Formats: sequence, structure tokens, C-alpha cells
Amino acid sequence: MSTSRSISGSTSSGAIERFDDKARESFEHLGQTTVYRGELLRHPVYTRVVHWMVALFFFLALFTGFSIYLPWLFRWFTPFFGGGPLSRVMHPWFGLGFVVFFGLQALNWLQPMIWTAADSNWMRNMGKIVSGEAKMDPPDTGFFNAGQKLQFWEIVGGCIAYLITGIILWAGARTFGRIPVAISYVIHDISAVIMLGGIFIHIYQSTFGEPGTFQAMVRGAVSEAWAWTFHPAWYKQVTGRDPQQACEEARRQMTTSSKP
Amino acid sequence: MTNGWIDIKNTDMMLIMGGNPAENHPCGFKWAVEAKIHRNAKTIVVDPRLTRTAANADMYVQIRAGADIAFLGGVIRYAVENSRIAKDYLVNYTNASFIIKDGFALPEDGLFSGFDPEKKVYDKKTWNYEEGGDLAGKPVAATPPEKTPPPLPAGAAPPPPALPPNVAFDLTLQHPRCVYQLLKKQYERYTPEMVERITGIPKDQFLKAADLFTSVRKDGDMKKVATIIYAVGWTQHSFGTQIIRTAAILQLLMGNVGRAGGGVNALRGHSNIQGATDMAGIFDILPGYLKMPNPADVDLATFLKRTTPTESKPDPWESFNYWSNTPKFTVSFLKAMYGAAATKENDWAFNYLPKIDRNYSWVNIWNDMYEGKIKGIFAFGMNGVMIGPDSNKNIDALKKADWLVVCEIYPDETSEFWRAPGITADDQKKINTTVYRLPGAGFAEKDGTFVNSARWLQWKNVAVPPPGQARLDQEILATIFLKVRELYKKEGGKFPDPVLNATFAYTNPYNPSLAEVAKEINGKALADITDPKTNTTIKAGQQLPGFAWLKDDGTTISGNWLYCGSWTEAGAMMQRRGTDDPSGLGIYPNWGWSWPANRRVLYNRASCDVDGKPWDPSRRQVWWDEAKQSWVGVDVPDFKVDSAPKDHMGPFIMNPDGVGRLFVPLGGMQDGPFPEFYEPIESPLANLLHPNQSNNPVVKRYKTDMDKYASTGDKEYNIICTTYRLTEHYHYWTKNNPMNVQLVPEPFIEVPAELADRMGIRGGEKVKVTSARSHYIAKAMVTRRIRPMQIDGKETFQIGIPIHWGFRGIVEDEDRTAKTLANQLTPTIIDPNAFTPEFKGFLVKIEKA
Amino acid sequence: MADRKALQAEMISGHSGPAPGHGMQRDLEVCKLVDTTTCIGCKACEVACAEWNDLPFSPTTFDNTYQTMPETRWNFWNLIKFNEHQNPDGTIQWLMRKDQCMHCADPGCLAACPADGAIVKYANGIVDFNQENCIGCEFCVSGCPFNIPRFNPATKRVYKCTLCSDRVGEGLEPACIKACPTGCLKFGTKDDMKFIAEERTKQLRDNFGWKNAGVYDPQSVGGTHVIYVLHDATDPERYGNLPSNPQIPWSYTVWKWLFKPVLGTFALFGFLGVVLHYVTSGPRRTQPEPPAKDGANVNV
Repeated sequence: MSTSRSISGSTSSGAIERFDDKARESFEHLGQTTVYRGELLRHPVYTRVVHWMVALFFFLALFTGFSIYLPWLFRWFTPFFGGGPLSRVMHPWFGLGFVVFFGLQALNWLQPMIWTAADSNWMRNMGKIVSGEAKMDPPDTGFFNAGQKLQFWEIVGGCIAYLITGIILWAGARTFGRIPVAISYVIHDISAVIMLGGIFIHIYQSTFGEPGTFQAMVRGAVSEAWAWTFHPAWYKQVTGRDPQQACEEARRQMTTSSKP
Repeated sequence: MTNGWIDIKNTDMMLIMGGNPAENHPCGFKWAVEAKIHRNAKTIVVDPRLTRTAANADMYVQIRAGADIAFLGGVIRYAVENSRIAKDYLVNYTNASFIIKDGFALPEDGLFSGFDPEKKVYDKKTWNYEEGGDLAGKPVAATPPEKTPPPLPAGAAPPPPALPPNVAFDLTLQHPRCVYQLLKKQYERYTPEMVERITGIPKDQFLKAADLFTSVRKDGDMKKVATIIYAVGWTQHSFGTQIIRTAAILQLLMGNVGRAGGGVNALRGHSNIQGATDMAGIFDILPGYLKMPNPADVDLATFLKRTTPTESKPDPWESFNYWSNTPKFTVSFLKAMYGAAATKENDWAFNYLPKIDRNYSWVNIWNDMYEGKIKGIFAFGMNGVMIGPDSNKNIDALKKADWLVVCEIYPDETSEFWRAPGITADDQKKINTTVYRLPGAGFAEKDGTFVNSARWLQWKNVAVPPPGQARLDQEILATIFLKVRELYKKEGGKFPDPVLNATFAYTNPYNPSLAEVAKEINGKALADITDPKTNTTIKAGQQLPGFAWLKDDGTTISGNWLYCGSWTEAGAMMQRRGTDDPSGLGIYPNWGWSWPANRRVLYNRASCDVDGKPWDPSRRQVWWDEAKQSWVGVDVPDFKVDSAPKDHMGPFIMNPDGVGRLFVPLGGMQDGPFPEFYEPIESPLANLLHPNQSNNPVVKRYKTDMDKYASTGDKEYNIICTTYRLTEHYHYWTKNNPMNVQLVPEPFIEVPAELADRMGIRGGEKVKVTSARSHYIAKAMVTRRIRPMQIDGKETFQIGIPIHWGFRGIVEDEDRTAKTLANQLTPTIIDPNAFTPEFKGFLVKIEKA
Repeated sequence: MADRKALQAEMISGHSGPAPGHGMQRDLEVCKLVDTTTCIGCKACEVACAEWNDLPFSPTTFDNTYQTMPETRWNFWNLIKFNEHQNPDGTIQWLMRKDQCMHCADPGCLAACPADGAIVKYANGIVDFNQENCIGCEFCVSGCPFNIPRFNPATKRVYKCTLCSDRVGEGLEPACIKACPTGCLKFGTKDDMKFIAEERTKQLRDNFGWKNAGVYDPQSVGGTHVIYVLHDATDPERYGNLPSNPQIPWSYTVWKWLFKPVLGTFALFGFLGVVLHYVTSGPRRTQPEPPAKDGANVNV
């Protein structure tokens, strides 16, 4: 029921942006996002598709990578991928897929991921947020909070690291020499471990850690309450209403309706 | 070799020159390595290039190709001057003390006495011993006049000059005409300075090498031994045989011949070339090195008189003169050849033998063919086009022949001469040579013996049968022979007797078993023969145990007296594989069989002093046993075993004088009794010793339009070129074998880095080498292993070309080469004694291709 | 001489847990001795290796050297390296060194290899590739300080000299040893070969003027089961780039065996962390949250 809209109201032009816009447009023809009353459009079809492609390739690369990572993991993971040689053949392709799709995702989200003062604020309050002390995110929290942006940029950095070191490892010492391969070996590992740690947090935050978030990436819509709780500034931008007020309004209705 | 392969491990000092054993005899070279490891033996390598042998040497001396006699002469002079000689050996075992007739002149102007400039031959009668007795201490007198010879029958030619039976001698070596003094005088001119000017070897480097080699005789030590090892780097010159003579002189001076770890050791270039020469695969000998008859040998008696030497020695000495048994060897050979048809009445069918009227050596054959005198040729496992010299002349010669029969295992340049690069389809139409290609058997497909450089006959077994339609050599030859015989029988012809009467009584005459042939070569008794001394009898039909049993009365046959003993009643001696070596000298008396009589080191009596005691007891080979009154030892004595030392019999039993010859008298050598340094026919400079006689005076040039030669000091052809072989390829056939081709795929030319720099040639770039005859194109290998040399103060470059590629092979067929042949460059010039072509040391120019 | 028992694994690449047969009675270590001072560069060893192992031919081109090809290949495991070394006085020393796998006691290839059982080091010292287990990642190529393992793009496996483990396992000497005509190559126990090598270098120093002659048996990789006698042991590089101080990159030593598991554990701590977070702080719910029962919405 909702139509495609630029989520951040970006007016930037250029070939990449045009591609991105085009992609979003065409995907809207492929699928749909149903936004019920009380919900807001969060992620359109294109975004969702790209995200899950990224996730898929991430796990494929992760698990094939596990085989190569440590001897103790080799025998556990290679059977899933048809044996050692196939695991090793597929891993760089999966990795490449990951980088390609994340590249699309990065294009998609470049604008909204830019660091702002709100994010520095969020970081200062991170302790309270994580511990649960702050029930709602700081009012200036936009479409993405600082934590999400941190992870995004971490993955961007990781992808660059993966691409460079991955290609060196893929082509091998014959092409690049012994020492570049040996160094890439280490950097590739470090990137993977950092990204893995980040993904644990990401998955947690997207599921158990913040109920109501998962549907954002599955159906594409979130409840207004979710929006004013976690991304108040975005809620205000989209609806025009003040998130605190909306929250109070809802609390009153809740206590009213819950009166016996 | 006078010694053997394994014997090399016994040496203390090796001079490797004119040879590259690490590359061309890698398996044999292990024995040189053994000497290094176990005896701290030192190696001196003298070569125009730093080869893989030189890489392993203690001292490498770079020499100008062809300057070997100058170097060796210099070493002789050094040895004499510094008393690095074996005095007793010299006096007693060589002809150092023999007096030479006066009238003999040393070649200070490049010519010995007796040269006929028109015929370009020597009258050698002054090259002879003087007759007489002990002249020690006596005043020097002129040679007494010749005894008046008996009157000759009308029209008969005067008998050729002969060695006197009673040679004049001076054991103090002081007589000015004694061989030793003449030798000293001959090499006086070969000073270190002259050696440097001629060879390009800096004086101090030369002196170091001479000092090191002769150090085995320092302070009169006789225990140590030095060996000289050579190959075709010495033989492939117009004075090749004289280079070897110089080495022989040096070794005799130093008393190294006959000793374990010593000797003059030729490394033969094929697995069975020794066998080929033993069995007379050469035009001027019969098997066992008997001489071929010539037209003047009207009957057997004349022939035997000419070819059977009589002893010629100082009176108090003895000479075994084993060639005095020539009649026995000859008659036994004739009986082997013609069987029952050879009778006393018909001179044992002596007249069946062809009589050589001229030189039919290799280059002459091709020259005759080119001049239309030879109509057809059988080429069995011999790639004449690739061998050259002057390959283009050989190709043109084949164009003129009526027929060519090639027995080979691969299509080769000779059988495909009509497809040589440059021959167009129109040209081919004009070639009327009929070419027959007979697929032959490879070495692993035939049995029989190989005879190696050490004279060991070793039987080999068939590994695989010949494939497809290929046949064994003996089957092909026998079939052709029997067919020819059939034709003679049917049609008659000029003198069919030798063909009809030749013995061919093999079980399967069309494919004779080589075992049967080997037995025939060994020989057997035709009647019961008893040896009165030992009272043993050989029954008729039994194999003979040794050549001492051969007779000249028709009761013995032997295809090759030298091989008599190789297949006896006890069986095939050359098939033995006994690995025991009790002496540790590498003699292995029960492995194979060596000629003569299974002796491993020739002249081994000379390994002992005049009293019969070994010079070096730790390496004793044979010695006189006073109790037994016999020579005994760990090797078979190469001597008359019951000749006591006091009888002073000479150790060199095959020479009529019984001694090693520093001076070769009379007709032994065509170009001089002493070696003299001559320049190669194509040389950058005139001979510094005698510029008016630069080259070997008896060497003749060929006269056809294809025989072109550069001039001395040629302005255009100013680079010295040598040709050689690599480990990774074997002559002209491994270019068909993928493994060898993988190792060294393409032809190349070794070019000194300095020359390459000057000409802007980079490694891998194609270059063109041109001689007066033709050109050769290949990639340059720019190397620092061939340094520029100062020849008489002038900067001179040498380049080297491996010979292995032609116009048919794996890479050739892929068009990856220019399809030129190395021997297109080489000159038609041969050594006057052995007729080997001068493949090394000729002139070329080089440019980018 | 080694026998069947000697082909008992001691280290296995990419393998978790101890090697089978670990702790069993060990046999002697084998060793190939290459004496560069008696090598004549005849290439009999190259041919023997190619023939014994049925290695297919590959095209070669002339490259301004006698050396058969610039480096070993997946189908050419043993290569004589030639070098025209120029001495300070301008003379040339033409050096020849047989190049092949060094069978290190501490193999860099094995350390780098992630695949279970692709590289095996036997108790006798031979380091062997088992192509069935190879995954073709070529980490071994970067792990090897001697530039030896070679990849075959068709089979996607790596290959190198096996020290003829098949022959050694049957009590025979390697093919190259058998073919060498000069006895430059010797084979036997490490102790014996070291002894012979030391004697030879002493002979070279005392009798042949090679003051710096020595044995090449680099301890930086724990020693090797191919050792060289060199005319000049102070300059191995001149023998066709023989590394004077071969090192395994620490990526495959310290990093692989220490840091990887540690980091992996840290990553897993991330998982532990989120679990702990869930059971302690609990999820962040959208606001307003529904009221708690009986007012018990206590944050402790």
C-alpha cells in the first residue's frame, strides 16, 4: 500500500545514485511491502532482498572459511560443502558475493549511515542504552543509531580488507609473493573475527535483543511504537509527531484500556 | 686407454685436456671424483671453455682452441728443466738413450729433415736410430755409413728404410744425438713466454699449471702418479695425433705409463667405438690392428715381411716385439675369413683380401662421392650429413650418388638429404639418388658386446625386441651379403672367389647369432695342438684360450687375435659379472674381459723398477717373484712372464724396440717423430715459432669448389670457433627423444659476454655464425665462461657450438629452429695419421641474425 | 636403511588431535646429502625423478643458461640450478646445485596447510604431500622458505619432491640417488650423512683450499633432511638463491597456532556476551511496555 520513497529524502544525483534509485524502483515491481495501520514503512523490497543476500553469503563464506581457519574446525565444516577442495573453491566466490551484495547495500545506505552529532550523543549514552537503563533511545537518534552505523562502517572496512587480502590469498604466492600472502592471511583472519563478533551482536539486537525489529527486515514495516522508542528522530521526520508525546499518548491509552 | 675407467680412482693428479668427461662421460667421471674424494687427487682442466668438468677442477686454464701442443711442449720443457722426470724409468723403459742418425734435423723452420714440398710428404729415412753399440763416454762421431745393400732384382724398388736391429745408445743421455737431448732441444723454444703468446695462457698461470702437474715427480718421488685424460678435443685437429704424442712423451718422461692411476687415456666417444676400431671399422687396418695389404704386397710373404717388425734395440737389452707374431695372427685371420678355401697352397687366400690403393678415410669417401667416383653408400647408424665436415658438400655428394642405403632408427638428415633446407621442389626433381631406408634396431634391442674405452668387452642382453619391421643389424647385413653371393653365383662377375668362399657357417646364416660370431672371433683350433712347455693339448674344434696359441700353419682360426681369450671353452668371458676386487685397484678380474688377455693396465711391467719391485708398493700391480721365477700380480702381467728383470726386456712389448717412444722413428707418424706445434689450417695468426710454415706441412687441402678455407689472419673470419657435445644430448639422435629435448630444447651458440656486449647481442637473441663454407643460426648463450684471450698480444675471441641439432627432430619439426647444421661450418681438413677432421679450431664471423 | 615402519606419520597438516601412532618407537631419520663440490650438472637426477614419478613432459625454451627451466614445476620436482658466479679476481666459478624440497624438520608448508592430512611428515623426516587431501589453497607455497611447492591448475593440487617416500618405504634409495653417476648424491641416516658431510668439508678446507667450505643444514627450520656440502657455506645465495636464513612466516606459526584459537575464542565470547546480556538485562522492549502484574516490575 505504500509507495517507494527515498528514506532519507536524499536529493543527491550521480551515476551510482541513479543506479541505486533504479534498482529500488525495479524491485518494487517484483514485490510489495504491506504497511498496516499503526505501522511505518521501514525497509523497502530492494533493501530487504539485498540484506538477506548479504546475510546468506556471509554465512556461506563464514562456514567455508571455518574449514580453512583452524584444523579443529576443518573436519566439522568441510562435509557440509562437499569436502575440502570444494570448500576452498567456494569460499572466495561466497566471499566475493558477500562483498558485491554488501557493496550494493552500502550504496543503498550510504547517506543515512553518515556520522552525525546525534551519533556521538548516542555513543555517550551507550552504557545506559545497553544496560537497559534508558528505555528509549536519545531523541535525536535517526534512521540508524550509532551502534548500527559503527557496525556498518566496520563491515565496509572489513569488506575492503577482505577484498584485498582475499584476492591475494586467492591468486596465491605465485602471483603476489610469499610475504604478501602471509600478511594477508593474518589480516583476513582479523577482519573475520571482528566481523563475527559484530554479527553476534547484530543478530541479537535484531531479534531477541529488541523484539519487533526482525519484522523490519522481513516484512519491511515496523510499529510506530517501535519507531518512537528506538528511532525517535526518524519517527518525528516521517510522521511529524513528537515521539515522547506519542509514547505518553499510548501509555495513557494502555492504562485506560487495561482498567478493569 | 692404456689404463681404464675404474683405474682413474688410483691417481694423484689428473690433467684433463681436449676432453670434457663430466659432460660427455658422466658415468666414467665418477672415478675421477673417487680419486678426489679418497686420494685428495688434484685436477687440472685445460680447455677453451669453462666446461662442467672445469667447474669441478682445482685449476682451470683457458686455452686457445688448437694450441695444445704449445702448452704440452711447454710442460715438457718445464719438466725437463726442473728435473720433474722419472730418471730411471726414462733411461730404461724409453728410447731416450737411443742415438738418432745424423742428417736428422729438428723443425726449427717448421720442417723436419726430408720434406718434399711438391708431394707434401716426408722422406723419413733420417728419422731413424743409428746402428751401433754403447756410445756412452765415447767421442761423438758421425753416423757410420749404411752397409751396402745386396743388389736388387731388375725393376724392383729399393726396400724401404728399416730400423737397425742393433741400436746405438748412450745411457748417460749426454750424446747430442740421443733422443733425450734432441727432445730437450726440440722443446727449448717452448718457453713460458712463447706459450703465453701462442696459447693465450698468461705466463704465471701456465707455470702454476706446469708446476702442479709435474709436482708428482718433485724431488725424485716415484710413488705418486699422474694421468692424462683426453677425448676428441685432441683428436679433431689437423695435428691431433701429434697432440696425443706430446702427452705420451710427457707421461713417459714422468714415468706414468704402466702405473695404476697413470697412463695416456683416451675417452672414446661412443659406447662401442673401441670395438669398432678393434674390429677394423676403418679402411687401413684388419681386425686386431693388422695392416691392410696394398698393391705392392704381391703375396703373403711380401705382405708379412712388410708388416712384421723385427726387433730393434740396444744389444744388451731384450725386446719381446710381440708383433713378430703377425704371421700367426694374419693366417689365423685368413682362416677365419675363408675357412677351407684358405690353404697353404693358395697363400691362405691372401689374395682374396682387398688391397688398398689410396686413402679411403671418411672425408675422402665423401670427396670421392662428390667427384662422382663413388656411386653408392651404405650408411649404417651413421648420419653423414650431420657429421660433415662441410655438411653441404656431403649433401651435394649424396645428390650425385646413384643410391643410398640408410639403416637407422629415426628418419634422419642423411636419409632425407634431399629435403635439406634450401632444396626446392625443382631441385628435388633433379636428384636421381635412390634412397633405401632400412629400419634398424636400437642399442637396447640388440645383444653382443660393447667394448669401452678401457678395452673391456662387456656382453649385453636384449632388453626389448626391435619394433615393427625393424631388423637387427646382423640380419640386414647377412641378408644383403647372401643375396649378393647368390647373384655372384648366378651371374659370375669380377673375381667372385672372396664372396663365394667367405665362411658363413652360422646356424641361421640369414640372422647369425652374435654368440656364434663372437666365438668365431675368439677363434678355435682346427687340429689338436699341444704346448710342449706345459704339455696341455687343445683339441680340434675347441675354443682357444688365448692368442699365444695362434699358429701360422693353418691349424688355428681367429677373427681377431686381440679378442682371443674372450670366449673360451670355459664360456663367454665377456659375460662374466664377478664383483670381487681383492686388490682394491679396481681391476675386477672376473668382470667382463679386457684385451689383451684380460690385462687391465697396459705396459704394467713398467710399474716396477729395473729389479722388478713396484715403484709404489701400496698400488702394486705386478712384480717379479724371484722364487717362482715369474712375474705375478693382481693384474695380468703385460709381459713375458718368465723374463727376469736382469734380462732387461722392455715393457713396451708391442714396439719392436721394446721401449716407450719419445721419438717415433721412420713411418710411425707422417708428420714428424716429435710433435711440433702447428696452427690449425684456419688460424688468426701465423705460427709464432716459424711463420713461413704455419700449418702441418703434410696436411692437404681438398680441391673441389665446395672446399673453401679462410686464410691465416683472415680479416673477415676473425673469431675462433669450436664444436662440441652436451651431456643432455647424444650426437644426432636424441633430438628425437622428448626427455632430452625437454632438458635442452633448442640449439645455441656460446658467446663471450664481452663480445656480446660489444655487438649488442643479448642472451636468447638469434645470431648467425658464418665460415668460409656456410652459416649457422641459433640463439646466443651469453656467458662469462669463455673469456677473451690475448694471442700474441692481440685480443681474440672464441665461440662454441654444440652439434646436436639439424633439420629433422622434435623441435626442428615444430619449426622452432633455423634448421642449420653445426657442421656446415667445419672445414674439410684431416689429420694425416688418423684422418680425423679438424672439427675444432676454425675461423668464423658472428653477427645478429 | 629405512623400512616400512619409517613411514609412520609424525605431523599432519590441518589435523586436530595427535598424529596416529604418536609416541610409538621411532626409526632413524633419513637424509639426502648433496655435495655441490662434486656435482657435474649432468641432470641424471632430473631424468630419474621425472621417469620414476611418471611426470609428463612440458615445453621448455632456451633461456641463456644450461638450466633446464627457471624453477621447478608441478611436473618437474628436481632441478639443477646453474650460476656463473664471478669471484672478486674476475674468474668464474660455475656453480651447480640440485634444487628440490628440503624436507625440513619444521616444515613451513605443513604449518601453513589448513587441510587435514594433505601434508604429512613421517617419523623418518620425509615431508610428503597427499594430493587426495589437498584443497588447492596454495598456503604451502607461501609457507615454504625454499619456494618449492608447485600448483597444477588442471588438478588443483600442489606437488613437490617426495624424497621417494614410496621407494624409501620399501628399503630402496630415492631415484635421484640411484641415478647420480659421480656419487655426489648420497642417502642414509641423518647422522651418517652429517658425518660424511662434515668429513668432506674438512677435506675441502684442509686439502683443496676452500676455506669456507661447510654443511648447509639450516637450524632456522629445525634442520633439513636434504643437506648440502658447499664450497662456501657463508654465501648459500650464490648457489641459485639458496636462502641463507630460511624462515617460516610467523603467520603460520605464532599466528596460526596461538592467535587464531585465542581470537576465535574471543569471537565466541561475543556469543557468550549476548547470551549473558539477554539473561541479565533482557531485551529492550518498545515503549510503552505493558504494565507488570501486581506492580512487580522490579529492576534489581
